[in-house]
Amino acid sequence: MLPRFSSLKAKTKKEAVTALAEGEEVTLVAGGTDLLVRMKRGESHHHLIDITSIEELQGVVAEGSRIRIGAATTHSRVSTDPLIRESARSLGEAASGIGSPQIRNMGTIGGNLANASPCAESIAPLLVHDALLTIESAEGERVEALAQFITAPYRTTLTGREMLSLIRIERLEGYREGYRRVAKRAAWAVSRLGIAWAIKEAEDRFLDVRLAVGSCTPRPFRPRSAEALLNGRRREKWLVEEAVKLCLEEIRQISGERPSFIYKLPVIRDLLRTILGGG
Amino acid sequence: MFVGRSLEKVDAAAKVAGRAAFAYDLKMEEMLFACIFRSERPHARIGQIDTREAISLPGVVSILSAKDIPGKNLFGAIRKDQPFLADRAVRYRGEPILVVVARNEEVARRACGLIKVSYEEIPPILSPADAASSAFLLHQDGNLLSYRRVRKGDVAKGFSEADVIVEHTYSTHWIDHAFLETEAGIGYLDERGRVAIESSTQNVHYKRAEAARLLGIPEERVRVIQATTGGGFGGKLDVTVEGFLALAVHHLRRPVLMRYTREESFLANTKRHPLHIEYKTGARKDGTLTAVKVNVIGDTGAYASYGETVCLRTAVHATGPYEVPHVYADSRMFYTNNPPSGAMRGFGIPQLAFAHEAQLDEIASSLSLDPLDIRMKNCLKKGSLTATSQALSASAGLLETLKQIEPFWRLRQKKHPGSGFGLGCMYYGIGNTAMPNPAGAQAELAEHGRIILHTGACDIGQGSDTALLQILFDALGMEPRHVILDRGDTASSQDAGSTSASRQTYISGRAVYEAGRKMRQFLEQQGYPEGKDLREIYRVAKGQQPLCFDGFFDPPTTRLDKETGRGIPYATYGFATHMTEVQVEEATGTCRVKKVRASHDVGKGINPALIQGQIHGGISMGIGFALLEEFIPGETASFDSYHLPTSMDMPRIEVMLVEDLEPTGPYGAKGVGEPALIPQAASIVNAIRDAVQVNVYELPCDVERLKILLERKEKR
Repeated sequence: MLPRFSSLKAKTKKEAVTALAEGEEVTLVAGGTDLLVRMKRGESHHHLIDITSIEELQGVVAEGSRIRIGAATTHSRVSTDPLIRESARSLGEAASGIGSPQIRNMGTIGGNLANASPCAESIAPLLVHDALLTIESAEGERVEALAQFITAPYRTTLTGREMLSLIRIERLEGYREGYRRVAKRAAWAVSRLGIAWAIKEAEDRFLDVRLAVGSCTPRPFRPRSAEALLNGRRREKWLVEEAVKLCLEEIRQISGERPSFIYKLPVIRDLLRTILGGG
Repeated sequence: MFVGRSLEKVDAAAKVAGRAAFAYDLKMEEMLFACIFRSERPHARIGQIDTREAISLPGVVSILSAKDIPGKNLFGAIRKDQPFLADRAVRYRGEPILVVVARNEEVARRACGLIKVSYEEIPPILSPADAASSAFLLHQDGNLLSYRRVRKGDVAKGFSEADVIVEHTYSTHWIDHAFLETEAGIGYLDERGRVAIESSTQNVHYKRAEAARLLGIPEERVRVIQATTGGGFGGKLDVTVEGFLALAVHHLRRPVLMRYTREESFLANTKRHPLHIEYKTGARKDGTLTAVKVNVIGDTGAYASYGETVCLRTAVHATGPYEVPHVYADSRMFYTNNPPSGAMRGFGIPQLAFAHEAQLDEIASSLSLDPLDIRMKNCLKKGSLTATSQALSASAGLLETLKQIEPFWRLRQKKHPGSGFGLGCMYYGIGNTAMPNPAGAQAELAEHGRIILHTGACDIGQGSDTALLQILFDALGMEPRHVILDRGDTASSQDAGSTSASRQTYISGRAVYEAGRKMRQFLEQQGYPEGKDLREIYRVAKGQQPLCFDGFFDPPTTRLDKETGRGIPYATYGFATHMTEVQVEEATGTCRVKKVRASHDVGKGINPALIQGQIHGGISMGIGFALLEEFIPGETASFDSYHLPTSMDMPRIEVMLVEDLEPTGPYGAKGVGEPALIPQAASIVNAIRDAVQVNVYELPCDVERLKILLERKEKR
């Protein structure tokens, strides 16, 4: 049973941030697919503001070398958008694997980020695309890189008065790009691992390698040391092995040893070998 | 003829249109809602129970405890060892302690949250090994619930004749039934003042007996009716909401509704028994099996439920569907403080099949024999002696199922790296083991000129309503429009036994057939074939003789010898072969089931479409059992971490039937409900071995376990 709460459907960004500024204990609903579960477990949220009907928070548009994605854009929309398919393929693939069709129709990209689960599917591809987030409040707006926005599992820099409104990502042209999730069953399962990649190559030489690993460390991350090793070098077996090793070391540095690593690290090793090996 | 045709399920239209009334739909005026306060500890003495805050919550009507039970506070399908409401001690986390009745569900659940119980904890016994060695006795007869043996020949001699011996230990985990509809029911006083309960159940007469014992009143004063039921799989054989409803109605004299939440169902319901199986198989060079030695150790949890049944069935079925001259099978079932395990589709045999099928493939591989050939060589057939020395005299079509699979098996081709094929065979005794398990049925000619079929056989979605009617149509030689079904009401039907053990089509089906033939004979005497109207026959014959005819069937079985297990545990057996194709991705440990061909000897397919439905469902459940599902006591709370297969995990399926008629069955029919599931996990495990050369000894073989096995293989 759900605890009692009041709810309001905001029509504009202004309405939402004003309510955040003036109300006490206000929670934004950006799809609610995680919030509902938590409320059923007894977490109390007294005043809900649904922001999914706000026009300004919807949609995917090109903006020069970047793409703007409204925070209340659903996973369904993200996974089928032609612009994302063309220039941010890993994000589209990640979004298409979230939950079930029903969850993808309700859940939003902004909600996924603000919830900041270590297993949130959209984070790894957004890190690959160097996402910048626009955060608004009644006082104004600020812009923050995604890597800084998430501070810990389920923790972000959002204050109770702020709303994530926009995600801007880099368009990556000429990259080999993708996302691979591993889960217990074929659909409708929280991912046990997710790897996003975008790789620019010329004549067997790595020009720009971008990798991100999700569902493994407290926050999805980019293995920068492995990327740096690869960039500018010719693809060779020893190099790939060395990069894989660096990536696994970085994971251990972040998390220490964890029981799940007996499974996860060999999977990351094998998937990275394929991804970097050109398969 | 209606038998053998895929008639539309009689309940399909009402379910599709949303008209079917499940228990929670049966709302009544002045109705109250009850929910259960459950133990928060796996093992403890109950200290103070403080309900003051809960009872003073506006809307709370009553809080009932063990002290309010007027009759016996013990129930159990086989052994009455389980309290409806815990009195002095609790033996598992989730054990019911209090019934909270309030004006609605919200208040009842809030009140539950306000109850405080102090516990004096006792160290819990969490495994059969602990149970065997602990000085603490969970029940007065000790921690060993049951020990069953099967002996045939001289097993030492058998192993000395073997050229190859394979020996391994297999283990399986708890599985939840996860039926679509959670436990639910409504209780009320009916027009004759009886305590009436309409619930989601697999049996009505057993539930009536338990409710009457609980209240200390004659069974005639209790009525149990089966509401439309959304799945059971064995989990609705034990008393669930019925006892609590009876108690609340008895005290409050008002309608009371109950429904478990999904989380509560996970916590409260019985589970599939986790089994530890030590298995040793011997064979000659040509693949002929010489000996099997099996040691099964099971965990029945806090109460017996169907633990004895699983213990006995695993001993009896120890060899799998193969003729083995020398057999030594031990099966033990222990009490622990884990959740009670009970009946679940197959009563231990899906677990056992995982072991005997893996054994057989290892034998085949070490002798360089084909897995199909070794099965054909050893399979039970007409004239074979089973492990209990029962001679199979008819309807033993395992070899025919293997032959149906054979062309696909011989022509199989691995299309990709990681692709593999596996076989799984099974046999399964239809009906309860080595004990009477009769069913009655009645055909009545009613005033409006139609025949009413009265049956106590519960249709839980599997289709017994449709199958029984098809049998009756043919027994009567009548069209469907002349027949009405009255099912699952103790006030108007005889005991048909439980819908379990794949028994209703076979046993109730035969009883329905007998009743139908008697009615037909009567109608023939009354001139029906000459065109006399049924209403007219009713008017003429009424008063002169009873217009209701009884059918009855109890399959011929014998008791089993206590020391050797010799005897006839079942009158007939189902047989099946599944061939499964998997695709394993070595990088991630992901196994996808691509295609299953299932061949089943069902005796006679009463309704082939319904059989196909059962087999599709069995395959889905087998995929869950092999690869996905795992209930961990104290951890698994919801579908969040319990992974049932979705439609995306389902393979392409092809069903083939063998009809080796069973002489005692209605039109030759046996049962298929459990056989549909039993060989599936086994065939997946064997396909994984074929695909990536790893041996699986522990289920579920989920992505993590499979990857770890693959890693170990790499290191070797």
